Amino acid sequence: MLAAAAAWGAGSNGPHAWWSGPQVTLLGSPSRDGRRLSFADPATGALGVRNLASGSWQAVAERPAGSREFAYFSVFSPDSRKIAYAWFNSQGFYDLRVTAAEAGAQPAVLYRNEEAGFVQPCAWTPDGKFVLTLLFRRDNISQIALVPAGGGAPRVLRSLNWVYPKKMDVSPDGRWIVYDNFAAEGKPERTIFLLSTDGSEERRLVDMPGNYLFPLWAPDGKGVFFAGDNGGPEEFWCVRVEQGRAQGPPRRVSGALGRFLPLGITDAGILFYGVRTGSPDVYLAPLDNLTSGVQPISTRFPGRNGAPAWSPDGRRLAYLSRRGTENFGQDARVIVVLDLSSGQEQEVPAAMAHLERLAWSPDGASLLVSGSDGKGRGGLFLVHMPDGATRLAAAEHDAPFRGYEAAWAADGKRFYYLHGGEELRSHRLADGAETTLLRAQVMEHLAISPAGDLLAVGIGGNAIRLTPLISGNTARLLPFPGLTELAWGRELYAGRGAELWAVPLDGTAPRRLGMPPDRQPGISIRSDGRTIALTAGREQSEVRSIELPRP
Amino acid sequence: MKLWAWLLVPALAAVAGTLPVPLGLDAYMPVPEANPLTREKVALGRRLFFDKRLSSDGTVSCGTCHEPERAFADARPVAVGIGGQIGTRRVPRLVNRGYGRAFFWDGRAASLEQQVVQPLANPKEMGDSAAAAARRVGVAEDALRDALASYVRTILSGDSRFDRFMAGDAAALNDAERLGMRLFTGKAGCSTCHLGPNFTDEKFHNTGAGRGTDPGRAAVTGRAEDRGAFKTPSLREAARTPPYMHDGSLATLEEVIDFYDKGGKANPQLDPEIRPLHLTAEEKAALAAFLRALDGKVREAWAN
Ligand code: HEC
Ligand code: HEC
Repeated sequence: MLAAAAAWGAGSNGPHAWWSGPQVTLLGSPSRDGRRLSFADPATGALGVRNLASGSWQAVAERPAGSREFAYFSVFSPDSRKIAYAWFNSQGFYDLRVTAAEAGAQPAVLYRNEEAGFVQPCAWTPDGKFVLTLLFRRDNISQIALVPAGGGAPRVLRSLNWVYPKKMDVSPDGRWIVYDNFAAEGKPERTIFLLSTDGSEERRLVDMPGNYLFPLWAPDGKGVFFAGDNGGPEEFWCVRVEQGRAQGPPRRVSGALGRFLPLGITDAGILFYGVRTGSPDVYLAPLDNLTSGVQPISTRFPGRNGAPAWSPDGRRLAYLSRRGTENFGQDARVIVVLDLSSGQEQEVPAAMAHLERLAWSPDGASLLVSGSDGKGRGGLFLVHMPDGATRLAAAEHDAPFRGYEAAWAADGKRFYYLHGGEELRSHRLADGAETTLLRAQVMEHLAISPAGDLLAVGIGGNAIRLTPLISGNTARLLPFPGLTELAWGRELYAGRGAELWAVPLDGTAPRRLGMPPDRQPGISIRSDGRTIALTAGREQSEVRSIELPRP
Repeated sequence: MKLWAWLLVPALAAVAGTLPVPLGLDAYMPVPEANPLTREKVALGRRLFFDKRLSSDGTVSCGTCHEPERAFADARPVAVGIGGQIGTRRVPRLVNRGYGRAFFWDGRAASLEQQVVQPLANPKEMGDSAAAAARRVGVAEDALRDALASYVRTILSGDSRFDRFMAGDAAALNDAERLGMRLFTGKAGCSTCHLGPNFTDEKFHNTGAGRGTDPGRAAVTGRAEDRGAFKTPSLREAARTPPYMHDGSLATLEEVIDFYDKGGKANPQLDPEIRPLHLTAEEKAALAAFLRALDGKVREAWAN
């Protein structure tokens, strides 16, 4: 039943769709015989193995009842009997673990260290003795390491500052690691490198203009396949390799595969890959007459937009747009400002690594952005318009990479934000002085009334607390089970998943608004109170395969 | 093919014969293709490093200032060379410089090959020229340079308690050291500059340290904004080799931590990452304890 039986054909089999639907995650790899696929099951957190032909699956590593643990990246061993995987543990960081690829097996922890609390197993050495793993350290260094599959200290081969390869693989002869990294310091383009597994040599394998990443060895060891994107659609390339050196220029082996993510190549030369099929976007709708229609905004990059924010004068709409090649987990996003009268779009170059949410300052001169920077600080950043000059507003180490939820005071001299989910703070811009307005268990979601006299704060996921900003007034609690979002225009709006409700402040029953069934969090109400900007459309993925030609 | 691609990718070759690398350092060390590491060169470099004939008056060797038992630094605030002449900068430790990308406090040398010949010609250090020094010890100038650079590449420090902790031995650090480590990458923000296996970004920053008379990096770049910027030093073996900073102006680790806690010394070029830290006494002690856990084993050549 093993791979030896599978012969590498002529590369004539076109794309084949294997798996789609809400369960699909692209964090695993195919077994070398092409029969199974490891994956992280989003509903249960389990590490799953899917039988590709029958579509059945079983969990091979499950979390204890009541825990929030879950499986993440995973990769099959060369004999397809074991799986190395990342596991988000009960202490809140990732272990590297290994398990037999069958239900009921006992997993073993190969590496657990909070200082390198994120791990990405990428490949096994052909003898099955080491797992090629990326270790992400708290000092923002990522390390290419060989972790002994039987336990023992990782052998760190190479430390990289600020960057991490998107993918790595080991050559079938066990001598070379192939990985992608920035072609030059300070440039966004990546290219492909070889590093010997004994650490003695490193070489650049691909030397042509463009952006190249996600390398995988051909199963016969005679070449390296990789993805390339030159501003256009993403393509698959191949370079022949002998003795660790490129033989001739790389050549294109497939046309556009869509926004794709290579998962692995089987012994028979079948590439399994994931593609995004859903397309979230920003829409506008009149609040007075929602039935008359929800219209997508016009943009140069449809299908990858969210987190809209109206400018105070209601003329511009800022939003986040995903850029670059497909990625695991965290996406590279940029701020785009759309001028609705001219239809012009402008990208604002914020000096941040992850952007989550935007809020215009009342004078329209800057955006308060939640997210994190490249130095491991999370929180709130002030991004000046339109040049993108970025400074820390309320950011610190050890803060969540998605940052904090915030709302501007009406005079623009301060903002309010939820710190750590347990504290509502007021932050004065002039000198950074902070005061605590409220402490409570689990505060999530924040909105300010247009007059600036009331803050709405989500409490415990099931109520909205109206907190007066003018002394003398008393706070009130409005029940709202399942709260996922807050916004304030002419009325107070509260989200419950895809649903959106108008919540009267007098405690009478909320009123449900007509919204698309696949609405996502991320709304903003225009200052005239009439137009809502919202996000709709689900990110969905599909697993496909294509037969590759020999290198 | 664009030209920049060639210029920015240095030619790299093997650490020939796989120089054993201690725990905590990268197995891969960049070595220039033109000067591959060989046992013969390293052995010659080691001999020359301790050879006083390299100085014009025969009183000073590299090892006079770079003492092996002090992680290849000395105990003085600033260097003392031939004829007792006093320099202006502190002798740096030479551990793990093979991984370095900029040499000297101001980064005026871009490789060890460029670096090692400069002390020979410095009138306050060894007082002559590389050519004359090479003649006195009877080797060609290129061979002298390549051998010294090769030897310096083999001076490595690792296998500290911190390294054992990172390798998976959770008991290698005690509670105070672990708190210090947390502060180092967290509240105190030290790892924005002191990062990676070698605790340095190999870049230049103005912390305000020193007497303020040394132009630092600005002497190399000619740019006003580089005034008072110095290369981030590795912190390995730092705990046991005081004093500190480019002019040895801080005597103890505690003084260094107090200096950072106050936000460095104000000046127009102060790096924005240097700001008051508001550390408690316990946190300062924990940071110092963590820095002490970076003392490991120094090894050189293939000898040990
Ligand atoms: C008189 C004392 C003295 C002597 C002798 C001396 N050095 Fe140094 N060395 C220094 C000082 C001081 C510096 C820093 C100077 C500066 O940054 O401007 C330094 C810097 C260095 C560095 C750069 C380290 C780094 O991290 O940037 C290397 C490498 C080095 N020396 C090697 C040598 C070698 C090899 C010799 C013998 C040929 C030698 N030194 C002789 C005092 C000395
Ligand atoms: C902005 C970058 C930066 C940050 C942040 C930083 N350092 Fe430094 N560090 C430097 C530079 C640059 C020097 C050399 C300064 C000089 O010599 O003038 C230095 C020197 C040192 C030295 C002296 C080493 C020697 O051999 O002389 C120690 C110890 C040190 N830093 C520890 C720390 C600690 C602890 C922290 C956190 C509290 C920290 N550093 C934060 C850049 C930084």
